Amino acid sequence: MCQQKEREIEPLLEVKDLCISFGKGGGRKLPVIDAANLSLDQRQAVGIVGESGSGKTMLCRALIGTLPRHGAGIVSGTVRFDGQELAGAPERVWRGIRGREIGYIPQSSLAGLNPVLTVETQLVESITAVGSFSRQEARQEAAGLLEKVRIPRAQQVLKARSHQLSGGMRQRVMIAAAIAQGPKLLIADEPTTALDVTIQREILSLITQLRQELNMALILVSHDLAVIEEVCDDVMVMYAGASVEAGPVAALSKAPRHPYTRALRVSRVDRAVPGQDLEAIPGDAASVGSWPAGCRFWPRCALADEACRRDTQPALMPTAQQLSACIHAERMAELEQ
Amino acid sequence: MTAVTAHAGEKMQQKDMTRPLLEGKDISVTFGRGAEAFDAVRAASVTVHGGEAVGIVGESGSGKTTLARALVGLQRPSAGEVWLEGQPLFSAGTEQRMPRSERWKTQMIFQDPYSSLNPRMRVWQAVAEAVQVWQNLSGAEARMEALRLLNAMGISDDQARQFPKSLSGGQRQRVSVARALAPDPKVLIADEPTSSIDQSAQAQLLNLLRRLQSERGLAIIFISHDLGLVRYLTSRVYVMQKGDIVEAGKTQDVLERPQHSYTQLLIDSIPGR
Ligand SMILES: Nc1ncnc2c1ncn2[C@@H]1O[C@H](COP(=O)(O)OP(=O)(O)OP(=O)(O)O)[C@@H](O)[C@H]1O
Ligand SMILES: Nc1ncnc2c1ncn2[C@@H]1O[C@H](COP(=O)(O)OP(=O)(O)O)[C@@H](O)[C@H]1O
Ligand code: SF4
Ligand SMILES: [Mg+2]
Ligand SMILES: [Mg+2]
Repeated sequence: MCQQKEREIEPLLEVKDLCISFGKGGGRKLPVIDAANLSLDQRQAVGIVGESGSGKTMLCRALIGTLPRHGAGIVSGTVRFDGQELAGAPERVWRGIRGREIGYIPQSSLAGLNPVLTVETQLVESITAVGSFSRQEARQEAAGLLEKVRIPRAQQVLKARSHQLSGGMRQRVMIAAAIAQGPKLLIADEPTTALDVTIQREILSLITQLRQELNMALILVSHDLAVIEEVCDDVMVMYAGASVEAGPVAALSKAPRHPYTRALRVSRVDRAVPGQDLEAIPGDAASVGSWPAGCRFWPRCALADEACRRDTQPALMPTAQQLSACIHAERMAELEQ
Repeated sequence: MTAVTAHAGEKMQQKDMTRPLLEGKDISVTFGRGAEAFDAVRAASVTVHGGEAVGIVGESGSGKTTLARALVGLQRPSAGEVWLEGQPLFSAGTEQRMPRSERWKTQMIFQDPYSSLNPRMRVWQAVAEAVQVWQNLSGAEARMEALRLLNAMGISDDQARQFPKSLSGGQRQRVSVARALAPDPKVLIADEPTSSIDQSAQAQLLNLLRRLQSERGLAIIFISHDLGLVRYLTSRVYVMQKGDIVEAGKTQDVLERPQHSYTQLLIDSIPGR
C-alpha cells in the first residue's frame, strides 16, 4: 500500500478507483462503491475495516468475480491481479481465478456449510474443482487439508455434518476449503465474528501460520481494529463506498489521518470508564443512495468546513506514513494526545 | 468449586437488593434422548434486577444462547423455573407456558443477524410486526413507529424498504436491535449484539442501552465474548463452561481476581493483550 520506496515489482493485487453499482443494463443504477483503492504485495496481509454497509463485502465479491450473482457489477476502475486485468473479465476467466488463485471465506460462513452434506463431501468438491484429482486422491487430500488446519481426528471429522461441529471447528473447515487449491491470496470476510475470544485467537494464529506455510497474501475484513492490528501489516479503512485511509497498521493506530479512523479508536470500549458514555460519532452512517456531496463524512465530522462540502469525495493523498482522503489530514496531528 | 460458590455469591447479592425482575432458577436444558442425551445447560441460576446489567461470558458451545432462549421462553427447559416480577412464568414440572400477555416484557437480540430475520418480510415490516404484536397500534401507526425505531438505529427509510438479503451483516444486526426494543421491554437479553458492527456503531448502541437502563430501568442480560464490553457495561457477571455456571460475582472482582482457570484463559485471550 503506500510504499515510500520505489517499487521494483508489481504488487500482487492492485485495485484502483473501483466503482461498483447495483442494477444492470438501462435500469436505475445504485452506486455502492465508488472509490475503492487497495494494493497488496505477494505474501502481504492487509486488513479492511469500516462501518457496516460501507462496501467491504461488495469489494470482496468484486475480487472473486461474484458481483453478478448479487445483482451488481463493476462500472469503472481496475482490478489487477498477478499481472492480469480482472475488471470486466468474463466468467471463463474467473473460473480459473476463483478458488485456485484467490481463496475466499465469506462473511457468515458459519452458516455457509451445507448442513446435510458431510465435511468430506464438501471438501472433495473444493478439491476436485481443480480437475486433476481422482475421487480417491481427493479424499486423501481432504484428510491432509484437515491436518493443515490443525483438526485432530481428521477421519472422524470428515464423516461429520457441519451442525455437529463447534463454531471454531466449522471455521477451520471453511478455511480448509478456501486453501484447498493453494491460492496466492486468501480473502477472509469477518472470519472470527461469531466466535468467542479463545477460539478467535486460535483461528487468527492458524490463518497467520498458513499464510507463512503456503506463502499466501491475505485480505482480512474485520470490524475490530484490534484483530487487524494483531494479524496484518497494512490496513485500509472504508467509509460509505470509499477508501478513506490506508497505510501501515502502526501508523493508522498511533496517528490516524482521517477523522473516521480516529473515531474508531476513541470509541473503543477497552479505554472506557464504566458508567460514562462512550465517545461515538454523532449522527447516522451515510446510506447507499443518499451520500452527501463533498466529503462523505462531513455531516458527522467535527473538523468539517465549507471546503469539505464542495465537489466530490476527496481522493486518497499521501500524508505522514499513510494515505488519507481527508483534505484536512494535516490538522489531525493536532488531535493526537 | 464453583457451582456452589456461585450460589453463595448469588444469595449474598440478593440480601441487599430488591426482588429480581427476572430470575432463572436451576435451569437445565437437555437435547436428545437416552444415550444421545446431552446437557447444554445444567442447573444454571441467574437473576437480573430492574436497571441492572449483568453479563454472561463463556466459550462457544458453553450454553449461553441456550440459557438465554430458556429465559425468554423460546426453549423449553428440562428442569427449573423462570420468574418475572415475582410471578412464576414457567416451571418445567408443569405444562404451564409463559402467558402471551407477559412475554413481551422480555425481549432478545439474537446473535446471528443472518438467520434471525424473516427473508420474505421487508425490514420495516419485521419491526412493525413486533410493534403491533405488543402495542395496540393501527397499521399506519405501527409503520411510523417501526421507521422511527429503525432510524434511531441508523437504518434509513430506503433500507427499511429492502428485504434482509440486501442489508449488510451489521445493518441486519441493527434491525434486530430495533425489533427487540419495539415493545419497550422490561428485560433485554442481548446475545453478542455487537459482533458485526464497527467500534463507533457499537459505542452508539451501548450508549443507547445504558440510557434505557438508567431512564426506564431496563434490565439487561448481556451475552458477550468481549470481556472489555462486559467490564464496561455490567455490574455482575456469570462465567459459563460446558453447560455449567463456573463462576459468578461482581464484574470487577471476577475480571481482576478470577477464581476459575477458564475465566483466566478468557482474560488472556483478549486481542491486543
Ligand atoms: N442486493 C442488494 N441490493 C441493494 N443494496 C444492497 C444489496 N446488497 C448489499 N447492498 C447494500 O450495499 C452496501 C454495502 O454492503 P456490504 O455488504 O458490502 O457492506 P459491508 O461493508 O460488508 O458491511 P458489514 O460490515 O455490515 O458486513 C450496504 O449498504 C447494503 O445495504
Ligand atoms: N437445537 C439444538 N439441538 C441440539 N443441540 C443444540 C441445539 N442448540 C444448541 N445445541 C448445543 O448446545 C450447546 C450449547 O450451545 P449454545 O447455547 O448455542 O452455546 P453458546 O451460545 O454458549 O455458544 C452446543 O454444544 C450446541 O451445539
Ligand atoms: S475532508 Fe473535511 S469532512 Fe471530510 S473527514 Fe476531512 S475534515 Fe472531515
Ligand atoms: Mg460485510
Ligand atoms: Mg451463542
